[in-house]
Amino acid sequence: MSLTFDIFLLLYLIAAALVVARAKDLLAASIVFSSYGLALCLLWQYRGAPDVAMTEAAVGAGITTVLFLVAIGRTTRREK
Amino acid sequence: MRRPIAISLAFLAAVPLLAGVAGLPVHGDPSAPVHTHVSARYIEHGVEEAGASNLVTGVLLNYRGLDAAGEVTVIFTALIAVLAVLTVASTRDADASNHDGRVRRSDADRRHPDHPVSPIVHFVVRLIAPFTALYAAYVILHGHVTPGGGFQGGAILGGLFIALTMVLGKERTRPLVRPVLAPWMQGAAVLTFAAVGAVGALLTGVYLGFPVDPSLRIVRDLMLIALEVGIALGGAAVLAMIFLQMEAS
Repeated sequence: MSLTFDIFLLLYLIAAALVVARAKDLLAASIVFSSYGLALCLLWQYRGAPDVAMTEAAVGAGITTVLFLVAIGRTTRREK
Repeated sequence: MRRPIAISLAFLAAVPLLAGVAGLPVHGDPSAPVHTHVSARYIEHGVEEAGASNLVTGVLLNYRGLDAAGEVTVIFTALIAVLAVLTVASTRDADASNHDGRVRRSDADRRHPDHPVSPIVHFVVRLIAPFTALYAAYVILHGHVTPGGGFQGGAILGGLFIALTMVLGKERTRPLVRPVLAPWMQGAAVLTFAAVGAVGALLTGVYLGFPVDPSLRIVRDLMLIALEVGIALGGAAVLAMIFLQMEAS
């Protein structure tokens, strides 16, 4: 069970990272990157590092995404 | 032609990296090098020596206090540099728009959020705001006992500020960052480390030293809490101000 969950999370992280790198729609990329942060947060927590998991949830999934969205709002949504 | 070169370069880089990963000890192996040096002592004596039931905090602020002080200085210098660049850019934008003769938005416009906020988002943010604030305070003040601490609590506080700003508009939250206090808030973490380090030097003769004597336990706890609060205030302030600057102009 434990290994299955780990592998699921790791596969999700790889898939999300590929989507973020290849997406031309920066809004979509930001949202997928937020879910990447959330999956990584689950992995940290599951691996017994709650301190890192809290930072990942607050900074990685939360504030980084907001700053990306503000930046997109002030520039353009499509990658050129 | 470039594609095969790129693929073979990536492959060449991946082979030694994967070989290195294969040579790592098994996760949780007690005889792994990382567990055989200092960590045994941290685990056995950390709680009584460092005064923190949360060993992560004990190592971060007490055993490795100097590293944490350096880290905090680097992080906050970088954040303040980002803030400085954003401030210069937004003042230049504002000047440019004045010269263009464009109409500046009146104060009445600024009282409302830039974009209409869905009533559901508005309600939910206002509903959870006090609980988020309480949670942030708990994470900060309890960081030496349970997972969490200044960095995490500061990020939660900064996130709360950003959420409230988006829902209520800048004019409602801007009084929280007073221009007079702003530089002190940005430097709060570094200044707190310097102050606590000086207190430690007075008590133990070592910069950032923590008293181990049981009668001074309350002092040691207060020093740990002061560090957490300083990091949290500085972090929250810098995150909030970066957001405000990015939104500005």
